Amino acid sequence: MRINISFMLNGSEVVVEVEGHHRLIDVLRDQLGLTGTKEGCGKGECGACSVLVDGRAVNACLYPALEAEGRSVTTIEGLRGPNNELSTVQQAFVDQGAIQCGFCTPGMIMSAKALLDSNPDPTEEEIRSALLGNLCRCTGYVQIVEAVRQAAVQLRDKP
Amino acid sequence: MGRYNYYKPLSLDDALALHDKIPGALFIAGGTDVMVKIVNGDIEPSALISLRSIPELSGIKENGSTRIGSMTTISELIEHPKLHKRYPVLIEAARRHSGPQIRNVATIGGNLCNCSPCADTATPLLVLDAKVRLRSIEGSREIPIEEFFKGPGETCLSSSEILTDILLDPPQREARAVFMKKGRVHMDLATASVAVLLEMEKNTCRRARLAAGSVAPVPLRLSQVEELLEGNIISSELLDRAREISSETVSPITDIRATEEYRRRIVGIYVRRGIERLLKK
Amino acid sequence: MTDFHYIGKETKRPAGPDKAAGKAHYIHDLVRPGMLFGKIKFSEHPHAHIKNIDISRAERLPGVKAVITAYNTPELRIGFLRDNFALKKDKVRQYRDEVAAVAATDPETAEEAIRLITVEYEPLPGIFSPHDALKDGAPLVHETDARGRARSDNVLPLRFHHESGDLEVGRSAASHSAEGEFSTPLVQQCCMGTAGCIAEFSMSNNLTIWAKTQIPFLAQRDFNRALSDMGLGGRNTRVIVPTLGGGFGSGLDTHTYEYIAILLAFQTGRPVKIVYTRDEEFAFLSPRQSTHTRIIQGCDSEGRLTFRHVEVLQDNGAYTSWGATYPSVMMLPATSLYRVPNVYFDSKLVYTNNTYCQAMRGYGNPELTWALESNMDELAGEAGIDPADFRMINCNEPGETTPMGLKVSTCGLKECLESVAEKLDWKKKHGKGKRRGVGMASLMHVGGSGRIYRSDASGLIIKLDDFGNANVYYGGIEMGQGLHTFLTQAVAEALGIRPENVIINPTDTGTCPWDVGTHASRGAFMAGNTAILAAEKLRRRIFEFAEELFPKEVAKNIKKLQKKDPDFKAPDFDVAAAAKRDRFELKDGFIFIKDAPAEGYMRVELGRLLRAIHFRNQGQMLTADVFYDPPNELPDFEKGYGNISATYAYGAQGAEVEVDTETGEVEIIRMAAAHDVGKVLNPQTLKGQIYGALAQGVGYALYEEIQSHEGRILNPDFRDYKIPGTLDMNFPIDLEFIETDDEYGPFGSKGVGEPGLVPTAPAIANAIYDAVGVRVHDLPITPEKILAALNKK
Repeated sequence: MRINISFMLNGSEVVVEVEGHHRLIDVLRDQLGLTGTKEGCGKGECGACSVLVDGRAVNACLYPALEAEGRSVTTIEGLRGPNNELSTVQQAFVDQGAIQCGFCTPGMIMSAKALLDSNPDPTEEEIRSALLGNLCRCTGYVQIVEAVRQAAVQLRDKP
Repeated sequence: MGRYNYYKPLSLDDALALHDKIPGALFIAGGTDVMVKIVNGDIEPSALISLRSIPELSGIKENGSTRIGSMTTISELIEHPKLHKRYPVLIEAARRHSGPQIRNVATIGGNLCNCSPCADTATPLLVLDAKVRLRSIEGSREIPIEEFFKGPGETCLSSSEILTDILLDPPQREARAVFMKKGRVHMDLATASVAVLLEMEKNTCRRARLAAGSVAPVPLRLSQVEELLEGNIISSELLDRAREISSETVSPITDIRATEEYRRRIVGIYVRRGIERLLKK
Repeated sequence: MTDFHYIGKETKRPAGPDKAAGKAHYIHDLVRPGMLFGKIKFSEHPHAHIKNIDISRAERLPGVKAVITAYNTPELRIGFLRDNFALKKDKVRQYRDEVAAVAATDPETAEEAIRLITVEYEPLPGIFSPHDALKDGAPLVHETDARGRARSDNVLPLRFHHESGDLEVGRSAASHSAEGEFSTPLVQQCCMGTAGCIAEFSMSNNLTIWAKTQIPFLAQRDFNRALSDMGLGGRNTRVIVPTLGGGFGSGLDTHTYEYIAILLAFQTGRPVKIVYTRDEEFAFLSPRQSTHTRIIQGCDSEGRLTFRHVEVLQDNGAYTSWGATYPSVMMLPATSLYRVPNVYFDSKLVYTNNTYCQAMRGYGNPELTWALESNMDELAGEAGIDPADFRMINCNEPGETTPMGLKVSTCGLKECLESVAEKLDWKKKHGKGKRRGVGMASLMHVGGSGRIYRSDASGLIIKLDDFGNANVYYGGIEMGQGLHTFLTQAVAEALGIRPENVIINPTDTGTCPWDVGTHASRGAFMAGNTAILAAEKLRRRIFEFAEELFPKEVAKNIKKLQKKDPDFKAPDFDVAAAAKRDRFELKDGFIFIKDAPAEGYMRVELGRLLRAIHFRNQGQMLTADVFYDPPNELPDFEKGYGNISATYAYGAQGAEVEVDTETGEVEIIRMAAAHDVGKVLNPQTLKGQIYGALAQGVGYALYEEIQSHEGRILNPDFRDYKIPGTLDMNFPIDLEFIETDDEYGPFGSKGVGEPGLVPTAPAIANAIYDAVGVRVHDLPITPEKILAALNKK
């Protein structure tokens, strides 16, 4: 059963043909070539595939593709500004050394963005709670928490 | 991972009719359990019938008592402006449910229908004396949540029935409740969990509701402990007895997450600590 | 050289922005035209004869391009002892044995085809513990060795042994002694990016493989041997390394899935990709070895160690990887952590029908240090000496040659111990009990590479272009640790250009010089030393050419200025006379004469000079290649003697914990870590290395364990294999770096990639003991084990 669905992806409408058993991550990576969203476990345990659906972080590996119909999906590719400019959150991860192997990074950044969109001044506890669903094996999370803190300050200071 | 069709009916009637028509079809709510079971090869549905687009199943309504639509996500529970004041124990449990990405799609109905003994929302609903409403082609029925769970992976839901609502009585003003969960790390399935609700009149316990998760084939009411406490002054001896009874009356298993013995122990400790914490409040 | 421009600064990682943007390409993201997807059928028994494999139904499935087994492909023997096969014939020896594989046009078809393959087995009795493997009459995992000679037992023919001094003398000199048995579990590296490869043949039968590896050149050797076994002798392999989603030792061997991809690619004539799912990675990729260690130590009445006796039994699993050489590293702490005059060390590796094991960060050191540093506290207790003081009494010092023959050039262990004691407020907090406690543990590790192969070298090429850029070709692997960050800094510093003009090229055996691999915390040590050597070569050549060309360029500068300003007067400095090779300096991308007036026009931009060198008659482009084999020795492992590393890293970590004696739960209140790193090359990446390793150490201490039943892995996912998350690491970590300015390390530094997880578990265990007076001997320290120990007390 192949069905055409349309949804907003990083601000533009896309139409894709999907099958019932496809997951959102399959559509993003295999059909649309957006490989910034990583598959780390396929079971919603690691968060590497986190994307935003209607502004909320979800695991794209557990999200049936057909449920994206009519919704707004944001992936890591959608955060970059014009002229190859990183967004504030992305730049903060670079600045704070929050990236090592980088495989968890896109998902981590999407979770951080979801947090900062709803809570511009999070405590450390709130940052750690917001990133609880994202595993990282390289960093021990210290510099990741610092990066989110930096991004929060910078986003608050922005006019 | 097999192939399957995916349907998004727009009404309960359509969902039930579809299910009736397609052999091997399963209902899917948020999908955070169903999708994993498919990946693991535990189930091979011919089709999934999504409940996400059915308006009747969403929303939280309050007029004295509370009706929570079964497709309410765990995050929506947490963010609701009133629920955390009216039923703080439910929200406490919701906050300990997995991580944000899962909470954003997992639903309270799905959590119950997955009928895992470790369902985080089950124990608070048990101590709140919640009722659930079930709908089939024949009609709907309401049952106490206690009767909902039958065994591991088994509810009293027939395969062609949908859990539509969770119903809560207005909170009793004197009631205080607490939820405690033990995992191996912070984000984990419970190796054991306990919810305790007490209504106290001075030092005497007027009403007690206790429930435990991950320590029996289903989330469990600890009725013997409730009987022990109700009508009595909660003394240190009584607390010891409550702990003992809790450990004795549950029937946990040993698996890779914990041993039977450890689960018994934790339930006892948490029951005691839960009561103590409420008495301090 | 102490006045550094870029060393010690927080230079950012070159791939950081791409990784933050989701533009870094991991093996999962790579696609080749016409690519097929490979999938492997694994054994359903831990030990069994293969009676029959039926692939006919799989072959008939539309979309399937090849179905291979050991019966329709050439035999490829692989592994450190060549006791493993790409595909298994006649017998399987572990659950994860590869019995068949398919290549199909899409992953779903490949998966379906695998399900259509049926295998008939005749189960055999298996052995699942190393102790059982040693029993008389135990079933043999391997009936013959790689050369076909009959085997009589399950013991591997690898001997790592050390004896020094006289143990009896040491025993009789001891006033106190302590004996303990300690074990460590199977642990997964848990790279967030799973393993995988793409194999592709050209029509001349040369192989290109995109591999998630830490050893591209040893892999090239292994794959070339496979080509030879496939009848393609003389053909070559090119190994290209994509962005790695973590390494942690998992890339120190070539893997069966790589050989299977090679076989499938050859048979189909198309590129074949195999990427493991997380479940496959947990169940079918080799974890860290499990160990059992018996240790006895003694000290005199003053607390000085008089002897140490260590015996290690390792479960190798069914086949042998490089990980079997863990004892080569275990020997280091066993013989050389603290001063101990009489030492006995022995290790035994045995085959079982468990999953076979491989390297992981620390490479035997965390296993041995777990036993040693726990036992140090036990002995301190026996002697009635504060454990911190006890360590100080026996602390290593610079200039020592240890019983293993390790030459300690610099050693900051004393400062590390002092730092940890201070950060934990040791004097006030230790020995107070009441469910709160502090504990510490030390470590030593190779810090100047570690020779376990006949060449311990790395090569490096710098190619200067017309624009003043240094294009670097290096065979070491960036796997997240920051190797390319430091390589950028090192080339910039040593050559005298800006970091933004350093371009690190992708790791590729076709373009990069040979390198033994990125292991043994050698990344920065080798990259730095090779960068310094290559830069020296280039500077020499640049300055030679500058004697003739530099004055001309300065003259052009002056002419230009005079054109603008007729009154401009050149200073009274004879540039041509001063332009001698030893008077030049190159800094921040500009060449100048050291004692010339500090005017802008007296400097020439490097790119300009390089163009002048290039475009003159018989012009030249400048390239330097170097090959550096560090001043260390391949030890005689049977005697346990030899200076394996050019220098050694030291460190100490401490923990303050609170133990819930009812539930057995441990809460870490804070941790302190102090490491002798020689020299801080980049504070940000260094902190990242220690924080990250320490988190792995916390997982090792408290949570992580591959559980299995008769060889079948029971927790092959993150639902039941728990690594620390954000809230499990929610405590302050106080870091201090001790700079000992080592003479062998580049810019004074030592390798520090692994040390951060080595002492973490014993530090936590010692803190638990201080808190509640019980010691758990088997990792991980679960609440249930603490309760059991409390019960016994």
